[in-house]
Amino acid sequence: MSAETVQTIIDDLGALMLFTMILVLAAGQITRAIYAVAAQSVLIAIAGATLAMATGNPDLWVIAGVTLTVKATLLPWVLLWVVRRMNVRREVEPVIPVGATLALAVAVVVMAFHLSASLGSLHQAITGNALPVGIALTLLGVLVMATRKTALTQMVGLFASENGIFFTAMAVTQGMPLIIEIGVILDVILAALVMTIMVLRVRSTVDADIADLARLRG
Amino acid sequence: MMTGSRPLGLVLLEMAVLVLLGPFVTGGVQKLKARIQCRQGAGILQPYRDLVKLLRKGTVQADTASGFFRLIPVLVLAATVAAGALVPVVRAGPPAFPLGDALMLLGLLALARFLTAVGALDAGGAFGGMGASREMTIATLVEPVMMMVVFSIAVAAGTTELGTLAAHRGTSWILAWRAADFLGFAAMLVLLPAETGRIPVDNPDTHLELTMLHEGMLIEHSGSGLGCMLLASHTRQIVTLGLVSALFFPLGPADGAGAAGFLLGLGAFAAKILLLAIFLALVESSYAKLRLFRVPQYLGIGFVCALTALALSVL
Repeated sequence: MSAETVQTIIDDLGALMLFTMILVLAAGQITRAIYAVAAQSVLIAIAGATLAMATGNPDLWVIAGVTLTVKATLLPWVLLWVVRRMNVRREVEPVIPVGATLALAVAVVVMAFHLSASLGSLHQAITGNALPVGIALTLLGVLVMATRKTALTQMVGLFASENGIFFTAMAVTQGMPLIIEIGVILDVILAALVMTIMVLRVRSTVDADIADLARLRG
Repeated sequence: MMTGSRPLGLVLLEMAVLVLLGPFVTGGVQKLKARIQCRQGAGILQPYRDLVKLLRKGTVQADTASGFFRLIPVLVLAATVAAGALVPVVRAGPPAFPLGDALMLLGLLALARFLTAVGALDAGGAFGGMGASREMTIATLVEPVMMMVVFSIAVAAGTTELGTLAAHRGTSWILAWRAADFLGFAAMLVLLPAETGRIPVDNPDTHLELTMLHEGMLIEHSGSGLGCMLLASHTRQIVTLGLVSALFFPLGPADGAGAAGFLLGLGAFAAKILLLAIFLALVESSYAKLRLFRVPQYLGIGFVCALTALALSVL
């Protein structure tokens, strides 16, 4: 594959990831948001495989495989399990209306593009839209975390944000050292486990959600 | 004088094809929907029969309606059919004479929508006024997004003329898509049910429900007037689908002349429309109609997608 083809494919995958991110932002039901994040992880795995084919770096194959098994399968499964366990359906509960969140998302995307254009020499070194798309994905994930009340949706936002960082790192550096990637993935798994346990414990002991803890003062 | 590959005769022929095939698409979507819902459904030619029946009937008009009311169906039909002339059907490339571009097409569709709403208000019925108000609310959300999608593609091609845009698209469909095209197409898929008046935004099958939008505006029309309005909405649907297929799907090359090229282009067009019609039928069967106040949120997905597509192609 020529470098240009790879760049096109990475750009296209980035656009599709942005689309899944918009779906996460607009989702009215938490299960849809989870499916969207899973789809996003599949896209990242495809991006990893594409880069692996292009660069011949075997580490990237491993990373693509691990992404596919952990982030596209295992984590969504855990999240869906928690959703079933807590017996919630429409558990999104935005702080500000979803329409306003979407408007903010537009601003974030435009800002991300503007920001990466102003990076100068770094921007020159990286062709295509991988950097601005990655920044936009990361910030939109943070936006999801900031605008949702329930812990589960915030977890979805965290994973989406992490996907953005992962995509940026992969596309910009043509593959980081394997040890770093594996470390990041382990971190995510650990975070997911801790948060899952915490959500379930909070739910079972005080029958309240994370947003209610704001009233907890000593 | 522009030199183009689409002479006047071809443009008129394409327009005629669009108008004639419009009801067929509606019938096809309805049939497909019925089969998905395990019903037999009306025949695929039912919209034609409805049109023939309505055009033969006399017209009854509300006492409160002004003389302008009688003109509305004709004007709406004329605007929609004129929009149909701007859609390249069988062959890409610029027209051989000054015609109009995608903005003209969207403008004519907006004009038809405006006239429909005026007619609904003119008749003085409560349903008409409500339908018009709702339709206009939705229109303010749909039309800018369609504009943005068109722009995001036009930026790359450097023109807004649809035939040239389609020629620029080339024949290697999805492989040649840029990143912005994916998002633009996603935005279009979100908008299509809204623009064609289908679930989850509107329900085309109901006449006496508080949820209806487009049908509410037609409720005061009768006889041949209603026939014209229905034909206009069939045409509007196929024009919208044609716009999407011209923007995103490959079209026959500009130099493919002769009857064989024409038939090939027509077959390809039918296949593309069929694909989009299947999409519409699937969406209609698998989603419930949204509450009116949830519609802006749904259309917001399209808006953000279109704006991101624009950002990707401009920045």
